Amino acid sequence: MTGRSGGSAFWLALPLVAVAAFAVLLTFSLVRMIRVEADMRVEAEQNMLWVMHQSEAAARRLGETVLLAELGEADTAEIALRLDILRSRIALLNDGPQRRFVDSIGLGGDLDRLTGLLGAIGTLPEGAGEIRASRLRAALAPFPTFFARAANKAMIAEWDELGGRLETYRDQLRKTIAGLIGIMVAGAILAAALVISLRNSRRRNRMLRRARDFSGLLIASSGEGIAAVDTAGRCTLWNGAMAAMMGRRAEQAVGSPLAKVAGFFDVAAIRDGVTRALAGESTQLQLQPLFRDTEETPDHVDLRFFPMRDETRIVGAIIFMQDASDRYAADRKDAETRARLEHLVAERTRKLDDALRRESSAADLYRNFAAMISHQFRTPLAVADSALQRLIRRGSRADPDEVADRAGRARGAIAGLTRLVDSTLHAARIEAGEVGARREPCDLVPIVTAVCDQQRAAVPETRISITAPAAAPVLCDPAHAEQVLKNMVSNAVKYAPPGSEVSVALRVDAQGVHCDIGNSGAGIAPPDRPRIFERNFRGANSVGSPGTGVGLFIARALARMQGGDVALLPCDDGTVFRLSLRQPEGAAP
Amino acid sequence: MRNGVTGLAMFMMAAMPAAADDGPAVLRVTGNIAGGPASFALDTLRDLPEATLETSTVVTDGTHRFTGFLMRDLLDRVGASGDHVTASALNDYAVDIPVSDFRDYDVIVAYAMDGAPLERADKGPLWIVYPRDDHTELQDIRFDYRWVWQLSGLEIR
Repeated sequence: MTGRSGGSAFWLALPLVAVAAFAVLLTFSLVRMIRVEADMRVEAEQNMLWVMHQSEAAARRLGETVLLAELGEADTAEIALRLDILRSRIALLNDGPQRRFVDSIGLGGDLDRLTGLLGAIGTLPEGAGEIRASRLRAALAPFPTFFARAANKAMIAEWDELGGRLETYRDQLRKTIAGLIGIMVAGAILAAALVISLRNSRRRNRMLRRARDFSGLLIASSGEGIAAVDTAGRCTLWNGAMAAMMGRRAEQAVGSPLAKVAGFFDVAAIRDGVTRALAGESTQLQLQPLFRDTEETPDHVDLRFFPMRDETRIVGAIIFMQDASDRYAADRKDAETRARLEHLVAERTRKLDDALRRESSAADLYRNFAAMISHQFRTPLAVADSALQRLIRRGSRADPDEVADRAGRARGAIAGLTRLVDSTLHAARIEAGEVGARREPCDLVPIVTAVCDQQRAAVPETRISITAPAAAPVLCDPAHAEQVLKNMVSNAVKYAPPGSEVSVALRVDAQGVHCDIGNSGAGIAPPDRPRIFERNFRGANSVGSPGTGVGLFIARALARMQGGDVALLPCDDGTVFRLSLRQPEGAAP
Repeated sequence: MRNGVTGLAMFMMAAMPAAADDGPAVLRVTGNIAGGPASFALDTLRDLPEATLETSTVVTDGTHRFTGFLMRDLLDRVGASGDHVTASALNDYAVDIPVSDFRDYDVIVAYAMDGAPLERADKGPLWIVYPRDDHTELQDIRFDYRWVWQLSGLEIR
């Protein structure tokens, strides 16, 4: 990888270097050539050799004309012309560029001298023609010599200059040629780099195309529905699975906003998913209901939303959709099973709780039973014991009456004990749910009368007044009803003040049959009233009298079993308990 | 047109004889011209429409203002017909100049430089001056040799 990136850096740097070299060499060559071109333009204007030659010719023509004049073959005007021509040459040589050249070849002094000479010739005194001519000729003698020497020097100077210039040109051209070779090399490198990068680019393109084709194939053959949107929310991709799931063809979907393609995508949760994906957050939605056009019940799909990024930014979002109807069905079935199981477990738990409660009430029973025994059984046992001890002490001295009396007491105490045990066990059975109750229509009046008679028989000094209609039809279990009444009447008698009357009033009304049993006793202390029906509860007024505290509990429990109830009526003096029982169906009061 | 100009020139030639009393002849024009060889005194030439030109030269420093007449005016005046003009100088220097030069450029024949008449002892009395500074193509050695000073003859060929 490192090697490849190094290589690519090299292939990036090489053309840049080549371009830079190209530019530098081109500039260099151009500068050289411009310089050569400028040199050529300026340097081509000097031709001092010709100037010197012309000047020498002018001088010699003047000398020749003077000679001819001496021979009488030329006139003064011709001499003047030739003199002017020579003067013009001297003037030319003294002018700007020419003068500088003369100075450069070291003949400035000589030129000045000749200029002076020529000026002097102009002012030569008039004289005889021959004398004047000969003097003129003598004066002109140095001119041709000077011009010949100057021509000589000019030639050497110009050749030197030309040689130097050519050498400079050659040098410049050599450098230019080197520059051009460099340009060619740079160009070759550039061309090579171009070819190589072209090949690389083609290869990369091919790879890219293959990768694109492959991803296209992946998307097309995916079982998952795939759709993509651009940042404007317009659909850019819609694969076959998506088309099958949504019932929209790719041609219908691509290019349209997703919400327009199907209402499914306009749901808030899905819109939110797309928005968040466009903001760069991946999300998923489970078991989204999908209503198809033709079907009543929805399919369920799982959706996943992902952002699509290029190197720098988010360019869109992609949505994967998977049919999860089977899983939805399985989930629902699971939920149902779970609910059923939970129900079952609750049921069982309740039963177990009941069992546990029974268990614990049995435990309570034994505990209370033990307490009760220690408290309630002691007195009868003591009574029986003392009666029997006395009998033993008296031995043969006891008469039959005394024996009968003492044995009777002992038996009474034992009978009381038996009752206590019975009632306690009865209460426990009721509480444990072991006692069932039948419900049959019967008349309560004979039952009440019988109970009162039994009570009178058991306790002869008891006074009981009965108020009852002719008949009181009820729906009850006669045995239980008798037990309830027995408990209530014996309770009323027990707590009635000595000599007072216990009232039993039977009444029938629309709600049912009511039997109020009251005495005029001290009544029940208000704090005890709410607890009076609790098992083994004994009120403050029961201190000193035997009992297990289960009588009223049993009465109420049995009454309720038969669809009735036992209640303590609010009463200012005395105590009134009421037994209510239901009337049989169709019985009129 | 050409005939018209020539005709006018011939008329003027007839009306104004060459080398009259104006002074010595300084320029002799020969060759293919109407009416045969003609010589001109400096004053006669000054009668031609004046033309001025400011330019540098290869034999002097700086620029100078030249006063003279257009070469093509002179050629028209003498009714010249030909492709080349051979210009010759007092020192027998001679050079062929294509007539097209005078048509393409305002080439003048100067008789004064910077207001002073050109002297024979310098480059006078007549100097062919090209508008060198106005045309870069004239800044060439092949034009430089056409700057004939001490001009004395023109032969139209």
